[in-house]
Amino acid sequence: MTVNLKVHNLTFCYQSVPVLEGINVEIKKGDFVGIIGPNGSGKSTLIKNINALLKPVDGAVFLDDENILKMSRQSIARSMAVVPQDTSVGFDFTSYEIVMMGRVPHLQRFQKEGPQDEKIVREAMEVTNSWELKDRSITELSGGERQRVIMARALAQEPQIILLDEPTAFLDISYQTEIFDLIKTLNQGKNMTVIAVLHDLNLASQYCDYLILLKAGKIFKIGTPAGVMTVENIQEVYGTKVIISEHPINGTPYLSLLPKRSSGLKNLSPKKIHIIGGGGSANSLIKLLYSLGHHISLGVLNNGDTDSETARNLGLKVVEELPFSPVSEEKHRENLKVIKGCDLVVLANVPFGRGNVKNLEASQYAVEQGIPVVIYDGVEISRRDFTGGEAAKIFQGIKEKGAREVSLEKELLEVLENL
Amino acid sequence: MNSRPLITVLLICLAVFSIVVTTTIGVAEISFMDVTRMFINKIAYFGQFIQEDWPSTWETIIFNMRLPRVVLGFIVGASLSIAGAAFQGLLRNPLADPYTIGVSSGAALGATVAIFLQNSYGLFLFGGVPFFAFLGAILALLFVYNLSKVGNNIPVVTLLLAGVVVSSFLSAVISLLMLSAGEHIRGIFFWLVGGLSLKTWSHVLMVLPYVIIGSSVIFYWSRDLNVILLGEEAASNLGIEVNRVKKIILVAASLITGAVVSVSGMIGFVGLIIPHAVRMIVGPDHRILIPTSALVGGIYLIWVDSAARTLMAPIEMPVGIITAFLGAPFFIYLLRTKRKDFRF
Repeated sequence: MTVNLKVHNLTFCYQSVPVLEGINVEIKKGDFVGIIGPNGSGKSTLIKNINALLKPVDGAVFLDDENILKMSRQSIARSMAVVPQDTSVGFDFTSYEIVMMGRVPHLQRFQKEGPQDEKIVREAMEVTNSWELKDRSITELSGGERQRVIMARALAQEPQIILLDEPTAFLDISYQTEIFDLIKTLNQGKNMTVIAVLHDLNLASQYCDYLILLKAGKIFKIGTPAGVMTVENIQEVYGTKVIISEHPINGTPYLSLLPKRSSGLKNLSPKKIHIIGGGGSANSLIKLLYSLGHHISLGVLNNGDTDSETARNLGLKVVEELPFSPVSEEKHRENLKVIKGCDLVVLANVPFGRGNVKNLEASQYAVEQGIPVVIYDGVEISRRDFTGGEAAKIFQGIKEKGAREVSLEKELLEVLENL
Repeated sequence: MNSRPLITVLLICLAVFSIVVTTTIGVAEISFMDVTRMFINKIAYFGQFIQEDWPSTWETIIFNMRLPRVVLGFIVGASLSIAGAAFQGLLRNPLADPYTIGVSSGAALGATVAIFLQNSYGLFLFGGVPFFAFLGAILALLFVYNLSKVGNNIPVVTLLLAGVVVSSFLSAVISLLMLSAGEHIRGIFFWLVGGLSLKTWSHVLMVLPYVIIGSSVIFYWSRDLNVILLGEEAASNLGIEVNRVKKIILVAASLITGAVVSVSGMIGFVGLIIPHAVRMIVGPDHRILIPTSALVGGIYLIWVDSAARTLMAPIEMPVGIITAFLGAPFFIYLLRTKRKDFRF
């Protein structure tokens, strides 16, 4: 496929302060490209350079090999349509009149809108589900309805490229998906090139073929969502720790924000805590202790286990066994070594079977070594013993040797304070 | 939508009717029927059916005294409305009109300077008073425009403030000039308060070319004006060369304002009320709004002028006083009811 739009070595300055520097991008016809980056990284400025509202200091934008600054506004408007963030209109045109304005670039002066234009407008409004709004004044529409009308206007321009500047920033999530599903349909059905500035990284990852990640006016990374949305890139550009997982249905990268870690809560120095869990039993425990700023390790967990995933996303130390395998002697010993350096061992509400009973032995080892052990919010051991009594016996032993049973978060925090 | 041609036809009929009726109003009592017959008599071919049974002084009164005044009134009202509609659309600001944004004052100063130079030094100036009024109008406009601009927007507050400030300053300069004008002060004063008395066909011919050129230009760009209502960026994205269109329309509207002010002085609020009222009926589409406003504005002003000549007869009031009496409350009403639209 041919290159549709080319941004060549573009530099833009605002009052001699560079806002964009050395931007090089090639966008092929039919691509769905997202521009992401923190506030002030130059996303909207890039869009405005692409449609020649701003004039670069250096470099140029080429539309099908033609320098966009040499084109008239009318011919630009015939190939590019823009859907802005804020679409409020002060004068009360009807929605139909607004959409008909999308035909202006195709009309000669004094040429009246003909049946062909009416057909295009009607199609555009039907596709965007706004035909029933045609006689309503644009000033009395809701944000979502208005955005659909503006989308219809963009379509009435019959563009090759559609530029979107945070089109759903002011909309409810139901409208967000509606608008983006529509854009995706147009992108795939009509092979329309889409370039969108997006604030919401998950929307970006879910809908875009390629992402351009901007940092302080430069391209930090460009590529597929999987290649761009990594923990490291986001940390580097946004300065925030995040968890990247997979979208449950699309399999695209899915970003979750992490609670801020407090440093030194109430003069409490961070403790080394080892958590014994598995199967998601330690999930809330991990998040709680992590957010308090403690150093956490886990083990032994199977690779692919929910707790193991959570821990890995948070960058925690995990002693890992192969998937679906019982804890081997080797991993058990490694686990004991980790436990030996800890201030506290917390036993989560995990069921025990032949595969992981060694973890219970590890807790026993901790008690013997004089490391405090807390049994957190556990149901009765008999109900989660699948070893035929062996686990219950060890469990009983641990309790007798001083392991403390705790069921409330508050009590756990008290234990931590008294360490 | 289908009612628009009907409205236009009705308005044209109403305009003709109003011109005839207002021509009958005056000290010499000449009946509506006589005036109508005199008009028809003037039209070639139909003239032969009418018997001239009126004194010839009547013809002088009607065609050389009253009619030029009424026609000029119509032109002034139409022009101010067109200029007002253009300013409101271009600045996306419903309170803009030549008077409120200081353009009329600029035109008045330009005209005063021209009159002053002509009377005091006997200089003949290129283009005469209307051209100087146009220069004054455009300078005042540029000044107010740049003064009130915040980023890419022209908020109502700053626009009105800048308009008030510039108007007051310009009025002070005009007063200063009037003081130095000595015995010519009366001429300038009577012209300045805004009135249509003692106007002749030569005044009509003086403003007509400017008004025709200016209005045609604005009408020619009226679709662009529609798109600009969506915002300058949106208009650019829809293929409009916004900066060029803006300059052209601002110059055209100033041209009209300058020409009109140079003959009739400062008549306020017409350019504000008329486009507003018309927009409420025909909608914001300038292709309809501009011609309709012109007709309504013309009709409005000849009736208001008739009131000005008769209400306190035999004393004639300047028409500007009545337009202000009617316009100021309307302005306040707009300010109170449409506050949310004004991007305060």
